[in-house]
Amino acid sequence: MAVATASDPSPMQVLADFGKSKSLRTLLRVLILCFIAGAAVSSRLFSVIRFESIIHEFDPWFNFRATKYLVANGFYDFWDWFDDRTWHPLGRVTGGTLYPGLMVTSGAIYHALRALTIPVDIRNICVLLAPAFSGLTAFAAYLLTNEMTTNTSAGLLAAAFMGITPGYISRSVAGSYDNEAIAIFLLVFTFYLWIKALKLGSVLWGALCALFYGYMVASWGGYAFITCLVPLHAFVLICMGRYSTRLYVSYTTWYALGTLASMQIPFVGFLPVRTSEHMPALGIFGFLQLVAFIYYIRSALSGAQFKAFLFVGLGAVFGLALLALVAMTSAGYIAPWSGRFYSLWDTGYAKIHIPIIASVSEHQPTAWPAFFFDLNMLIWLFPAGVYLCFQDLKDEHVFVVVYALFGSYFAGVMVRLMLTLTPIVCVAAAMASSQLLSTFLSVKSPKAKDPGQEDVADSSSKKTKQNAGSLRSASSPYVGVYSFLSKGLVSGIMTIYLLLFVLHCTWVTSNAYSSPSVVLASRMPDGSQHIIDDYREAYQWLRQNTKEDAKIMSWWDYGYQIGGMADRPTLVDNNTWNNTHIATVGKAMSSSEEVSYPIMRQHEVDYVLVVFGGLLGYSGDDINKFLWMVRIAEGIWPDEVSERKFFTPRGEYRVDGEATETMKNSLMYKMSYYNYHTLFPPGQAQDRVRGVRLPDTGPVLNTLDEAFTSENWIIRIYKVKDLDNVGRDHAAAASFERGHKKKKATKKRGPRALRVD
Amino acid sequence: MRWLPVFISLALPFGTLAAKKPSSPADTFNDFHAKAISNTPVKLADSSYKKLTASPRDYSVTVLLTAMDPRFGCQLCREFQPEWDLLAKSWLKGDKKAESRIIFSTLDFSDGRDTFISVCSLFKPSIVRLGTNTIILVEPPNRTSAAVLPPTIGPHAVPGVEGPIRFDFTNGPLLADQVHAWLSRHLPDRPHPAVKRPVNYVAWAVGVVSTLGIAGALAKAGPYILPIAQNRNAWAAISLIGILMFTSGHMFNQIRKVPYVAGDGRGGISYFSSGFQNQLGMETQIIAFIYGLLSFSAIALIMKVPRVADAKKQQVWVLLWSAILFLLYSFLLSIFRIKNGGYPFSLPPFM
Repeated sequence: MAVATASDPSPMQVLADFGKSKSLRTLLRVLILCFIAGAAVSSRLFSVIRFESIIHEFDPWFNFRATKYLVANGFYDFWDWFDDRTWHPLGRVTGGTLYPGLMVTSGAIYHALRALTIPVDIRNICVLLAPAFSGLTAFAAYLLTNEMTTNTSAGLLAAAFMGITPGYISRSVAGSYDNEAIAIFLLVFTFYLWIKALKLGSVLWGALCALFYGYMVASWGGYAFITCLVPLHAFVLICMGRYSTRLYVSYTTWYALGTLASMQIPFVGFLPVRTSEHMPALGIFGFLQLVAFIYYIRSALSGAQFKAFLFVGLGAVFGLALLALVAMTSAGYIAPWSGRFYSLWDTGYAKIHIPIIASVSEHQPTAWPAFFFDLNMLIWLFPAGVYLCFQDLKDEHVFVVVYALFGSYFAGVMVRLMLTLTPIVCVAAAMASSQLLSTFLSVKSPKAKDPGQEDVADSSSKKTKQNAGSLRSASSPYVGVYSFLSKGLVSGIMTIYLLLFVLHCTWVTSNAYSSPSVVLASRMPDGSQHIIDDYREAYQWLRQNTKEDAKIMSWWDYGYQIGGMADRPTLVDNNTWNNTHIATVGKAMSSSEEVSYPIMRQHEVDYVLVVFGGLLGYSGDDINKFLWMVRIAEGIWPDEVSERKFFTPRGEYRVDGEATETMKNSLMYKMSYYNYHTLFPPGQAQDRVRGVRLPDTGPVLNTLDEAFTSENWIIRIYKVKDLDNVGRDHAAAASFERGHKKKKATKKRGPRALRVD
Repeated sequence: MRWLPVFISLALPFGTLAAKKPSSPADTFNDFHAKAISNTPVKLADSSYKKLTASPRDYSVTVLLTAMDPRFGCQLCREFQPEWDLLAKSWLKGDKKAESRIIFSTLDFSDGRDTFISVCSLFKPSIVRLGTNTIILVEPPNRTSAAVLPPTIGPHAVPGVEGPIRFDFTNGPLLADQVHAWLSRHLPDRPHPAVKRPVNYVAWAVGVVSTLGIAGALAKAGPYILPIAQNRNAWAAISLIGILMFTSGHMFNQIRKVPYVAGDGRGGISYFSSGFQNQLGMETQIIAFIYGLLSFSAIALIMKVPRVADAKKQQVWVLLWSAILFLLYSFLLSIFRIKNGGYPFSLPPFM
């Protein structure tokens, strides 16, 4: 049908006849799918073409480092990997605390290519893994959609949508080597296998579904979405009175094998039987046994006996199971909902109790422009597609409805979960648009009947239809579209929209989702592109100028990058598993030097790294993140760190001359603005992010030495001074260096007494 | 950033407030403790405040400075008051022998204006903070604050603390438990009875009765409700409304508590906030409506139009729905350009 756009009826007829041959159709379909995969891959290559083949952002740097470790040391070493170069001095049992699917996948590809004697760098595999898998995701979307409708063109449209929609591209451009890169393919494919298993009631498909579910568990924490959605689908089907042996076979196969598979991952372990987010799957498993038993009993007992048995038995078992669940939760055998999951339901929870989750920008709720930005016209075709599912409402259509509702709820609560909504939006929207197109692009027009005759036929068929309990809008018989004008108009509009969708996706991908954020791009006054490469400059400096085991303290955002690019041990990183340790760094950053120095000594810190955007106007810098450091530190040491003290009496967060004393004395402030005023003529010092003028005298650092400042001042690295040779405190030593006489011993000590010239 | 009330810890002597005391500290404590038993937290006025906080003291005093009078419009004061009462009551209940030697009290602005001002002016920063250009002395009634006065003599006296220690809750709603944790930190070495929320019998009763009622009604009206519950159209409508609500940013409104509409600064109303990351309540409803109409026109074109048997009628319907589809989408794109300034695409007529 993709070819049927010619205007002349006779060639069209020829084409239609030509396209009727089955093998040719298959060939066309394969070709179209290949083109879609090609489009999906190539639209993700903007960043490689503009910048270079580079790993993006933060988390991918860790994945990249882990992959290198896997390739270098082999699978078993990777499995048992204890990493002493992060979370100094604690270290991290990396092999047991990560989802290994991504690294193992790229490791396998690497070895396969080597075996085929194709020399390829592991970095290029990592960079291009996400685009490659997006092609597979498009194919999986094609398969899933074909299970929903008899119209094969819907599958092709879904594949095209899935391939280029920004909602998916956002996490899968070349270089974003993150778990989501392969997980979305696995998500869609697992759902396809589930539908297939359910339709056929086949153990084989159920086992395949469990296999891919296990792969998904190994790849991404978002597997809980499948763990909750499949039981929910089963539960809704039972409630609708649609229990069948097909459901029983497919669900029990999936659950038993899938749970066993998921428990093989060390990071997951016994969680599937011990945490609340896995309980729905277990509960439905038990419930299905019960329902199956009842169906069996019904075939053996008389009606009245069965009714009594049903009420007593079902009620008792359900009540007992619920009681057991509550008892085991309160006794501590089953962990209650973990904070991250709980915050999806009680949306105010994270803000109060887990500031570290609330501080991540991906965990914010989604405003409507984000939906439109990521899905464009699919967002309104989506409800139409869901409505079409109600037309014959088979088991698989129930799945679409359930997925659509829950997916859109979760996407509304958390920006990041837009990713799990996108597949179903593509599927539903493709169903709607393909049905629209096939209605209005069909060559045949019905012959006009006279109205009287039609009325009779209409009313009689209405009755038969109504009994079937279908949709109201489908109550009258299908006729077809009469005029060529209608066909031309609607298909014209749809063509415009589809073209606009492609333009939109390309524009969004190129403008919003293709920045590596390690390398920044700006425009020179003459319009040429200027690359700002401060991050790599600074990490390279660290790599070349510091000892191999020099400990770097920075805010956790940069931990993975330091580990990946500079190869130096860090105190905290983006795997935020230890809140107290992060709070320690937060406290060191937000306290005065006298408090911070002992903390840094205790943690053997050699260098401190801060990100400062004041010179360039780079707003993602540490001063703007500073309040989160304060908040997280305050959560652990409420007596020593107080967010209130960083605000002026008028409640403003200021960095200029009016800033509070606590702010001015904090290590972060001092490190950010140290010597900054010397860049400007007197009185002209300006912070371009906050847009304020800074005082003429900059902060004084006693316990740190400036070691390195990058070209645009984005990264500043300080060396922590060693203890003084003659036992003075640093303030006194620094004061002496500046040419002041030693103060009389009777004077009170402390840095406040320092005179600053 | 939202400013929540300040908690002020008043550590140690109030030299200026210390009036000459004929009675011993123990007498004062017993006196006020007796009052507290009948009605805690103790309501204070100017004179009783002076008496209670006089130095020397061998007991602790916590004072909530509040302004309950609706004239002052202190929403937070009213929200926090029940929590404070709860804390005081459960503390008193859990510490029958008064081992912790602490008096919970409340000082309302209308009862003790002078004290209120004199206490608050000790903490200038926290007072000026709220407004930007209002007069200092008018502000205290807008806020609620609590203070602890540890004893000056006796085993619990805190030596070496000079001046007030402030403690702020800057985020999150104020719960008795949070204040309890703060108090426990500042009053070491003595019992800290836990906050016990009273069982809400009314809510339980209402819950049980309504559950039973609903169950009964369902059982009775089952035959009538069942057709509705099994009606495909009803479920389709519910699902579509849910989806439209969530995809138009309803959850964002719930979580961020955005205003319904905002002024445009010229006395009019602006329906759309500019900016990609924020939105207004009205705005999301307009968007949901547009999405709904667009979906509905797509549904109509797919399902209804090919089922119209009359060719003329069908032509009219097709024209109508396509016009709606085209105009609304063009309008939607023009709205999106308000939100995202650099967005290059548009369709006629709303260029």
